[in-house]
Amino acid sequence: MKYALLIYEDESLYGPDKTGPKIQEIVGKHMAFTQQLGAKRIGGSGLKGTATATTVRTTGNKKTVHDGPFAEAREQLGGFYLIEAEDLNEAIEIAKKVPVLQDGAIEIRPLLGA
Amino acid sequence: MNGAALDRVFRTASGRIIAALATRFRDLTLAEDAFSESCLRAVRTWPERGVPANPPAWLYRASERVAIDMLRRRRVREQYVPTDVAVELSAEDAMMDDACVIPDERLRLIFICCHPAVAPDARAALTLRLVCGLTITEIARAFLVQEATLAQRLVRAKHKIAEAGVPFELPSRESWPERMEAVLSTLEIAYAKAHEDASGVSSHAGFAVEMLHLSKLLTELVPQAGEAFALAALIRYAEARRPARVDGAGVMVPLAEQDPELWRRDLITEAEALLIDATRLAPSASRTLQAQLQRIWCMRRSLNEPAPWPRILALYDRLLELRDDPIVRLNRAVAVAEVEDAATALCEVEALASQSLENFLPYHAVRADLFARTGRVDAAQVAYRKALALNPSVAEARWLERKMTAL
Repeated sequence: MKYALLIYEDESLYGPDKTGPKIQEIVGKHMAFTQQLGAKRIGGSGLKGTATATTVRTTGNKKTVHDGPFAEAREQLGGFYLIEAEDLNEAIEIAKKVPVLQDGAIEIRPLLGA
Repeated sequence: MNGAALDRVFRTASGRIIAALATRFRDLTLAEDAFSESCLRAVRTWPERGVPANPPAWLYRASERVAIDMLRRRRVREQYVPTDVAVELSAEDAMMDDACVIPDERLRLIFICCHPAVAPDARAALTLRLVCGLTITEIARAFLVQEATLAQRLVRAKHKIAEAGVPFELPSRESWPERMEAVLSTLEIAYAKAHEDASGVSSHAGFAVEMLHLSKLLTELVPQAGEAFALAALIRYAEARRPARVDGAGVMVPLAEQDPELWRRDLITEAEALLIDATRLAPSASRTLQAQLQRIWCMRRSLNEPAPWPRILALYDRLLELRDDPIVRLNRAVAVAEVEDAATALCEVEALASQSLENFLPYHAVRADLFARTGRVDAAQVAYRKALALNPSVAEARWLERKMTAL
């Protein structure tokens, strides 16, 4: 099965543009993790900060464009992996290894129809 | 050329140059920085070597070189150390009108600054800063916010534009109407700023002319946008009155006391044609009503005709149904004072939430007048002082002082 692992962390840890020393540290960890995943990794990426986010909202038939992420939260979506795993248990085991700097959460979502 | 004259040259040229640079290098911050740097160089070199024949063209060529220099250094990851570049204008550049040397990309820049992915409260501020060259202090005052708040808002907006990949292209035709509202409110605020300076001597009034041009340009580019026509008409009606707004002694003349024979009929004629289109395309838009308000005044032919206060009040009543905000209510109260009486008007003004109007000069001027007319001299004096403390233009300050002395 295919899963998305969505990484939520407090993005302020990484400085205003995600350019600080902490980002070097976490990128290093992600590179090592990617190596470890090998062919199980289908895709994924880190994301720029929510200050760069734009949201297109549909209400009724109307599409409106807004500055900012769709919801303000204490932790923000900062990156994601697309993985191939045998089942949810394997996905959970993989999710446990996804590097986070301090506190954070990895949301595991099976891909629809995959 | 003295400091004030230099500032005027820089300000007048800034919008066009920053827009051209931003479009070419696809980087707002680079464009802004390169332009500031070239102004610094002008300050250093013009007094020695003489003012170039075509200062805006010189500034544009200098900014181009600075920008290229900055990019090169950015690429090799060196720290940027400004070096002096001597700008030699080609004979052709110096002979040509600067409008031919510097491509006009201001409309494109306006659409970038007013992109829906930019926070609404930042769009107008960004446009005023980059297109009209206003200072942060001036914009903060126009928006009634703290300078630090505004500066932060601008930084955040530029960052968003750069990082999210807002395209440096004109919006596609189908998305123009949708993106129009932000553009119109931006021009509105910009013109209000230009209009504020009654005598037209300070740098603000310099871009009143640009507002005439840009507002007209919008109607040509988006001929289905009724409110663009309304705004273009409104700006012309208001600008037509400029020759009558200051008397021989340099004192501001309030609208009802202006001699209509001094008003510019050419601009009023242009406004009439634009308002016809606005009324056809957007009959019940608040901007159309505002242009009609201006029109009622401009139809006055001489001071012998009574001031049209009852019609003004009736239109403000209609406007209030569309746009109920403290500024509309304040303006309506001025008409109430004339049609009904000052005491009624004062009650209405005092009922407004004063907090949001505390830095709005007309609020204090209107209150002062109403206090004076209802015999509360002390309160009037306090209100006039508050108005004078908000940096009125020279002509307006003289008028306020004269009113205060007459108490």
